[in-house]
Formats: sequence, structure tokens, C-alpha cells
Amino acid sequence: MIALTVFRVAAYIRSHRIFQALLLMLALIAILYGSRAPKGAETEVLTDAAVLVIPILAWSSRSLLDTEPDQQRAMSAISVGGRLRELGAGLLAAFATSLVLIALALGWGLVLGVSAVPGPEEFAAVLTLYGLATLTGVTLGALTSRAILRSPAISIMTLLLGFLVMLMLSASPLYWLTVPVITWMKSANSAELTARLPELAAISLAWCLLGLACYAWLRRTRP
Amino acid sequence: MKDVDAHLDPGDVIEVAGVNGAGKSTLLRLLAGLTRPSSGTITDRPAVVGFAPDRFPLEQPFTVSGYLRHMSRIRGGARWEPWAERLGMAHLLGLRLGELSKGSAHKVGLTQALMCEPGLLILDEPFAGLDADTREVLPSIVTELSEGGAIVVASDHQGGLRHLPSIRHWTVVDGVVKEGTAGQRATVRVDLPVDEVRSFIARMRDEGYRVHDIVTEEQS
Repeated sequence: MIALTVFRVAAYIRSHRIFQALLLMLALIAILYGSRAPKGAETEVLTDAAVLVIPILAWSSRSLLDTEPDQQRAMSAISVGGRLRELGAGLLAAFATSLVLIALALGWGLVLGVSAVPGPEEFAAVLTLYGLATLTGVTLGALTSRAILRSPAISIMTLLLGFLVMLMLSASPLYWLTVPVITWMKSANSAELTARLPELAAISLAWCLLGLACYAWLRRTRP
Repeated sequence: MKDVDAHLDPGDVIEVAGVNGAGKSTLLRLLAGLTRPSSGTITDRPAVVGFAPDRFPLEQPFTVSGYLRHMSRIRGGARWEPWAERLGMAHLLGLRLGELSKGSAHKVGLTQALMCEPGLLILDEPFAGLDADTREVLPSIVTELSEGGAIVVASDHQGGLRHLPSIRHWTVVDGVVKEGTAGQRATVRVDLPVDEVRSFIARMRDEGYRVHDIVTEEQS
């Protein structure tokens, strides 16, 4: 499965599709961190960035999963020993690529975006949110990939609408009905992130796992 | 597919025929494990399956050797070089997949399917676009695999494997698989009451069978 993961990442890089997501990410973080945030605002600024990069990670994941032609996906599934492993390798490749992209955003933020590194507890919470943002992006990207939605137009619209719905719903009292990204930001702004992290992480993780389970279930009939 | 009931033994070579849209590709995908049957089961499929599609996907950013190296790693380090040599691909290894002709691309598909020493080899139109040399080599490769105990199932419009002595012929018609011996005919003697002869002959002719002379007990 690792060899297939490497194959898919290699195809994504060699096809140059990765540059679309990379350039977009660089543009976004250049704007986000155009001026250094004042001391004391580190957690808020880094949390805001974690939320804003989610659509880019979703696009990157979708793009990586769509790089492999359908017929090659069938051959890969046979070569690797089954559909489930092929599916796992695709998600792992998308996750690994997204981790690199989000690490770039975090590194840029720490070096050029904030005036100091947050305290250990806050920094651990921020790192957790970056992990959850990565998982959210991968899930959204997988659910809008070609294997699930054949039409590129519908796929990209669903990706963007999905993120917008996530933003709107998580700004409401029903924030627990989605990955509560706005609640992440609100908690960071009110210095409650570390206190609310277990609740927010549990809700976020649950929705991501549910989304990935839906993806796996839909892939049974969408090879 | 409906009412498919078949048993394949090690060494079997199956030639699958049928018009376009009859269900051949669906049958191959079911056998390969790519599609799960909506009802019924396929059991005891060999652990290692090789699959060569009718159209190899060329839209991939690799050279031929780069692609085969990746496939080899996915197959746990399978050796692809001997197969590439045997299929006459030495001059293609440095080319990008997108630069290949249909026949050359087909060879890449065959190589990735053969490199793993499959227990079940699925070939979808294996002779399509192949050059004369490879067309000659492929039946002997299939024979070797069969003698080694592999099951080979090939959808083949061109009849390239037809002369193999142990081949079994399947015909797919509207999702139904019929087994027969294509190209060869047999005469069956049927014993039935005289008063049913007319309707029996009419029924057989309606179904497309040739009916020869009628022999009654008095005549014989």
C-alpha cells in the first residue's frame, strides 16, 4: 500500500498538478501574513489560517485523487490486492500531500506571521487544529473527487459550497452539525481554545471519520 | 450478468466472445474482483490476479520504465524486465507513456499484468493493436502460464488463442454465459416418439440448429 501511495504522490507531482495547489497556498499565506500579527495574537492568527487553508487542501486532495485515470485505478486495485487498499493508498497520499502544504502554511506563519511562538498548551492546540484541518480538507476533497462526482463543474461547486455550508453552520448554535471551524476561530479569539479543544476536536474528528466512511461506502459502486 | 454458474480449474484457458455490450467486460471485472456481484458469489479466486485492460491508460506522467518500476514495487518487487524483453519493448522503455502507439501501450499493460506471476490472468482484447511478432509470442506465454497452473481468461474478438488445444470457449449473450466449442460442430442423436418429431425439428430450427436427415426405427 505504501508503494501505491508513493506512486500516486509521484503522479501528482510529475503531472505538475501540485503546483496549482502550491501556488494558491503561497498566495493565500502571503496575503494572510502580509503584516506580522502583534504579540499575544499568535493563537488567533494561526487558527484563522488553519481554517482558511481547508479549501486549498480539499482542492489538492481532489486533484491528487483525480490524477490517476479510472482504468489505472482499477489496475492499481488489482495490483495492490483489493479496492480497500487502493482506497486507503489514495487517502494516505492525499493526507501526506496536504500535510506538506499545511506545514508550509504553519512554518510561514511562525516565521513571518506572528511575533512569538504561542505557549506550549496553545501551540499543542494549534497543532491539533492543523491536523484536523488537514483531515477535513482530505475528506472534502475525497467526497468531491471524480470517482464520486463525475462532472468537474458539479465537483468544484460542491467543494466550495461544502466549505461555505461548513462556515455558516459552524457559526450558528448548530455548530456541532459540521466540523465547527468558526467555533475554532471564536474559541481562539476568546482564549478558550485549550479549554474547548477536547469538545471541538471530538466533533471535528467524528464528522471527518463519517465523511471518510461515506466516501468508502460510495466507492463500493463507484470504482 | 445473470444465471452464471461456472467452475474454473487451474490451467484453464477461457476465451470469452460476444458482441459489443453483451457483458464481456462486466464478466471480466467480476472475475478480477473489480466489481462485486449484486447477488451470488465468486469464491476461491487466486490470490494474485493480473489484469490487462483493452485500452491502457496513457494519460500518466511517467516513462514506460518509470511506470513499470512503480508497478513492480506495488507488486512487491516483481521482475518486469524479462517480460518487457519478451514482448519486444526494449526500445520503448525511455519513452513517455503519452507518446506510445496503441499497440505499444498495450504491451505495457500486458507487462504489468504478467510481471506478478498471476494465478488468474485477465486479458481484455489482448491482441488488439499488437505487432505480428508479439501476436505470435502471446499464445505461447498463455500456454506457459496455463501449464504452470494459472487460469487465463481472455476476451478476444480476434481469436488469437483459438488454436490452443485446451481452450474453453464462453459466449456472452445479453448477460448470459454459454459454454461451447467455437468453430467445431457436433452431431447429436436424439431418440424421441415419432409424433413429436415435427414439433421438435421446428423447435430446433427456430433456435438456429441445423437438422439433418430424419431416421425412424423402421428405416434403421
